[in-house]
Amino acid sequence: MADEEETNEYRWESGYEKTWEAIKEDDDGLLESNVAEIVARAKRKRAALKATGAIQLGMMRHLFVVIDASECMFLQDLKPTRFLCVLKLLELFVHEFFDLNPISQLGILTTKVKRSELVTALAGNQKKHIEALQQMKDTSCEGEPSLQNSLERAMNGLKNMPAHSSREVLVLFGSLTTCDPGDIKKTIKSLKENNIRVSIIGLAAEVRICREIAKRTGGTYNVLLDDHHLKELILNQVQPPAVAGSMEASLVKMGFPGGKTGSGDGASDSAADHAPAYCLCHIENETSCLMGNNSGYNCPQCGSRYCELPVECKQCGLTLVSAPHLARSYHHLFPIKPFIERTEVPEMTHCFACAKPFGELDPNVYECENCKQIVCLDCDLFIRETLHTCPGCASDPITAQMKTN
Amino acid sequence: MLELKHALDAKGHCLLEMPSGTGKTTTLLSLIVAYMKAHPLDLTKLVYCSRTVPEIEKVMEEFRKLMNYYEKEMGMEQNILGLALSSRKNLCIHPSVSKEREGKVVDGRCYGLTASFVRARHAGDDAVPVCNFYEGFDAHGKEFPLPPGVYNLDDLKEYGQAKGWCPYFLARYTITHANIVVYSYHYLLDPKIAEVVSKEISKTSVVVFDEAHNIDNVCIDSMSVKITKRLMDKCSNSIQILETTISNMKENDNRRLEKEYQRLVEGLRDANIARETDMALVNPVLPSEILEEAVPGTIRTAEHFVAFLKRVVEYIKTRLRVQHVVQESPAGFLRDIHIKVCIDRKPLRFTAERFSSLIRTLEISDLTDFSPLVTVSHFATLVSTYTKGFTIIIEPFEDRAPTVSNPILYFSCLDSSIAIKPVFNRFQTVVITSGTLSPLDMYPKILDFHPVIMTSFTMTLARPCILPMIVSKGNDQVAMSSRYETREDTAVIRNYGNLLVEVAAAVPDGIVCFFTSYLYLETIVSSWYDQGIIDQLQRHKLLFIETQDAAETSLALINYIKACDNGRGAVLLSVARGKVSEGIDFDHHLGRAVLMFGIPYVYTQSRILRARLEYLRDQFQIRENDFLTFDAMRHAAQCLGRCMRGKTDYGIMILADKRFSRADKRSKLPKWIQEHLKDTNCNLSTEECVQISKRWLRQMAQPFSREDQLGISLLTLEQLQSEEMQKKIHQRAQAA
Repeated sequence: MADEEETNEYRWESGYEKTWEAIKEDDDGLLESNVAEIVARAKRKRAALKATGAIQLGMMRHLFVVIDASECMFLQDLKPTRFLCVLKLLELFVHEFFDLNPISQLGILTTKVKRSELVTALAGNQKKHIEALQQMKDTSCEGEPSLQNSLERAMNGLKNMPAHSSREVLVLFGSLTTCDPGDIKKTIKSLKENNIRVSIIGLAAEVRICREIAKRTGGTYNVLLDDHHLKELILNQVQPPAVAGSMEASLVKMGFPGGKTGSGDGASDSAADHAPAYCLCHIENETSCLMGNNSGYNCPQCGSRYCELPVECKQCGLTLVSAPHLARSYHHLFPIKPFIERTEVPEMTHCFACAKPFGELDPNVYECENCKQIVCLDCDLFIRETLHTCPGCASDPITAQMKTN
Repeated sequence: MLELKHALDAKGHCLLEMPSGTGKTTTLLSLIVAYMKAHPLDLTKLVYCSRTVPEIEKVMEEFRKLMNYYEKEMGMEQNILGLALSSRKNLCIHPSVSKEREGKVVDGRCYGLTASFVRARHAGDDAVPVCNFYEGFDAHGKEFPLPPGVYNLDDLKEYGQAKGWCPYFLARYTITHANIVVYSYHYLLDPKIAEVVSKEISKTSVVVFDEAHNIDNVCIDSMSVKITKRLMDKCSNSIQILETTISNMKENDNRRLEKEYQRLVEGLRDANIARETDMALVNPVLPSEILEEAVPGTIRTAEHFVAFLKRVVEYIKTRLRVQHVVQESPAGFLRDIHIKVCIDRKPLRFTAERFSSLIRTLEISDLTDFSPLVTVSHFATLVSTYTKGFTIIIEPFEDRAPTVSNPILYFSCLDSSIAIKPVFNRFQTVVITSGTLSPLDMYPKILDFHPVIMTSFTMTLARPCILPMIVSKGNDQVAMSSRYETREDTAVIRNYGNLLVEVAAAVPDGIVCFFTSYLYLETIVSSWYDQGIIDQLQRHKLLFIETQDAAETSLALINYIKACDNGRGAVLLSVARGKVSEGIDFDHHLGRAVLMFGIPYVYTQSRILRARLEYLRDQFQIRENDFLTFDAMRHAAQCLGRCMRGKTDYGIMILADKRFSRADKRSKLPKWIQEHLKDTNCNLSTEECVQISKRWLRQMAQPFSREDQLGISLLTLEQLQSEEMQKKIHQRAQAA
C-alpha cells in the first residue's frame, strides 16, 4: 500500500478531522474557562498518577527500545508520519532518560520485513543514540514487523546483564499484526524467566497479544490518542519502574574517575594519566579525538581514557560514574512522600513555594506531611517531577538535618 | 427485574430483550429464586430452556454462584435443588455405551440394555446384558432423592459414578421434584420428546426460553417431516424385518400378540389415566380425545398393521416418483391416499402409537434400524391429524441441480404456534428472552399468544462500547448493496473488498464477516481473488472461510482463534444463519469488528418459505415483506451481537448495504444497537467508516478500570440506596 503517491499525500487527501468537536462552550458561550478546565483536569490526572507512591528502585536500568519500522509506520495519522513523529519523540525520550537515569544503559532495535535489526547496542552514551535516531529518519519502512524476533533479540542482549539492574524493553508498535516464526508464547515465558519487563505503546489500536505480553512480563500497555498523548506515554517510561521483588540486592563495583583535576596535586596519579591518549569511546570512529592532558576521565582500575561519563570501561568492564550522577539517581531510592490533597485551607492564601495566591481554578491545595507547608498544584507537580525535594523541608533546618541523617 | 416481577405477579407470559453479557441469566435466576422463596405456593418450579450444552453449563454456573451467595448471606444450606438435563449421549457413564459418538446410537444401545423386557429376560438368564447403573438406580435411587444443591452434567455423572446409579435416569426422575431444571428447548417443544420427559412438570412453573430469537423455527422444525427416497428404501427393508419377526413370533409365542390385541381393543394406552387430570402436557400430535378411543380394527392385528404400513410406504414411494413439483394440503393428500390405496384417515392417525406398541410387543431392542419407519409413522399421524397449518411439497429435484433426480417430500409446518401452544396453555408464566428479539411485536403474532409484558432493555454503559455504522457506498461513491440486480456487479464486489481490506488494516486481531449465503460468499471470494483483494487482505490478516462442512468449519475456527491469540490477526468469512452466526461467541479480541455484507434475506424462491408466507398472510395478517424483513433483520442483529459479550468488551459493527439505512430496516434493530447508531453514522463511505473506527478504537484502548464504571453501570450498595439513585430508578419504572 505504501506507494509513492500515498506517502506524498496532500493534507486534504488525508483523513477527516473534526477538531472543533473537542471544544465546548460554557454557559456564557465562552471557550476560555473550558480550556482552563481541561488543562487543570489533565494536571490533576498527572498528579494522581504520580501520587501512587510505591518505592521506586532500579537505578541501573538496561532498556532496549524497539521501533516498529513496518509499512504502516508511513501512515499519516501522526504528523508528518508516524515514523518521524516517533523518532522525534524518542530523541526527547533518550535525553530525558539519561537525565533521570544517568547510570543506565539504552539500546535501539528496529523491526521490519519480518526481521529485527540492531541499531545501537546497549550503551550509556546518549549522543550516539540520538545520532542513530537522526540517521534513521531516512530509512524506509516496509513489510511486516515481528514482535517475536525483536523480543528475542532484545532478550539476548539483556540476558547477560547483571542481576541487580532492571532489564526492560519498550516497544513502539504501530502495526496491528505481527509475523512470527514460532510460538510467541514461549518467548513470553522466557522473557518472564529472565525477569525482563516489556512495556508496549501501541500507535493504532489495542492488540491483544501486546496486552498479553505486557501483562505477563509486568510491563504496561498503552495506546495513544494523539501525538500529545504519545509524548506523555513515552515520557512516562522515563521514570524507573518499581522493582520486581526477585531482583537481588548486591554491591556494585564502580569507578569514580578523577577527571579534570589540575596536574601535580597528587602523587597517586600515575604519569600515564596525563599523557595524551586516544579516547576509547571514539576509537573505532574516524573522528576519534586525541585528548590533551587535562580533558577526559581515566578509569581508576586500568587507566583507559574516556571523554564522557557515565560509561562502562571497555578494557576492564568497570562502571565509571561521577558522584553527581549517583546523587541524581538517588532520589529514586527515596522518593518524597505524596502530598496530601486538601480543600481550601483558610489561613494560607499563598502557595509556599511560588507565593502565588491560590486561584479559583483549582480549589485544592497540597500539604507536605513532614513540614506541613502548603503548595499549589503546579508546584506540587514541579516538586515531584523535577525537584525531587520539598522546599519546605529543605528550608527548615531541623527537618533538613533529619533527612540527611 | 421489575418487568419480570410484573409478569410473575400477573401469571402471564412475557417477552424480554436484553443485550448479551448484561447479566440476563443472573437476573432471571435470582428474581425467580427469590420469588420461589417468597411465594412457595404460587411458584414451584423454574424450567430454564437453553439452546446448546455449553449454554446449559453456563446457566448452571450462574446458578451455583447465586446459591453460594445465598448460603453466605443466609448462613445456612438452601433447600433448593437445581439440575441440568441433557441427552443420554452427554450423561451416559456406562463403560462401553458412553464411548459411542452418535447420539442415536447411544440412545439405541441404552434402550437395548434398559428396556423392561430385556431386564425381564435378564432376570431369567444372566447372559443377557443389562446396564448395571440403571439396575442400581432402579433398585435404590428412587427411594433416596437427590440432596439439595446444584448439579450440572458433570456433577450428575460424578454423583452417578459414586452411587452406581445411572445419571440420565436419575436426572429424569429428579425433574419431577427439582426446583430448577435446565435443559434444551426440544424437551419442551418437540412433542415426541416432551411426552416422555416433561409431562409431569407442574402447572405452577415458570418456563424461560433463553436465546429464543429462533424459537418459531424450532417449533416448526419439531413438527415438520422430510422424507427422501433413501429413507423410503430403508423403510421397505425394515418392514421386511418386521414381517419375519412377526411370523416367527406367531409360531413361537402367539399369546403375546393376542394380549396386545386385547389391550388395543380396550384403549390405546394404559397411561391414559394421567392424561385426564391436567397434570400432563397435552400431546399436540394426538388430541386427547382420540387416545381414549380404541384403535380401529383394520390395524389391530400385527400382520394387518404391517400390511397397512407397507401400503403407506408404497403409496409415498409412488408419490415421490413425480416429474414436477407438487404442492398440496393435507386434506388433498388424505383424499388421494384414500382413492389410490384405500386408506382411511382414522387408522392413519393411529399409526405412530400403533407402531411403538408393536415395537414394544416384538421386543425389538435396537431401535436405530427402525428410525426411518418411525419418521414415516409420525408423518402419517401428523398428516391425518392436522389439516390446517401444514402443507405437503414434493420436489423431484433440488433447485441447484435440476438434472439430478432427488425427490424429497416435505411435510412442513407453517404455523409455529402449534408446537408451542401447549406450553403457553399449561404454564402460568413463560418468559421468552434473547439478546436480539426486535421487533418485539412480531413474536406474539407468529407464536399466537398474548404477553403481559413486552420490553426491550438497553445497556447502561460507562463508555460507548459498540460502534454500529451503516456503510452505503465505496470510495468511488458506487452504492453498496447485495440486491439481486447488483450483486454480480464488479464495482459492488470490489467496493466490498476494499471495505474489508481497509477495515482489516485498521482493526486489530479478529474480524468476522457475514455474507447472505454460501453461494454469494463463494462468488464474491472468487472474484476477490481475481481482483487481487485476497492478496491485499492477507498482508494484514490471515483468512478463514466457513464452509457447509461442520468439521472443516470447526478446524477453521480453531485456527482462527489461534491466529487471533498470537497477534497475527485473522478474518473469518462466514454466512448469516450458518453455524458461526448462531452458536459461537466472538468475545473480546476474537471479534473486534463484525461486517455484514448485504441484508441476509432468506432464500425467497424456496417453496416451503413461500407456503409459510402465504399462510402467515392469510392467518395472521402479516405481510410477506414484513416477515421477510423481520427475519432478515433478526439474523443481522444476531450476527452483529456475536462480537458483544459483556460490558468490558467492545466491537465495531458495520452494516454494509445501502438498504440498512432505510427506516423500516433500522427501526427493526434491537434497541441497544439502535441507541448507539447515530444519524451521522448511517450513510458513510468506506473511508469515513475507517476514520471513525480508528479514532474509536484508540479511545476504547484506553485503560478502563472498575472505578470508571462505578456509579454508571456498576453500583455499590451505598450508591444504590442513595436518594438520587432511588429517584432515578423510580422514574424509569414510571416511564416503563
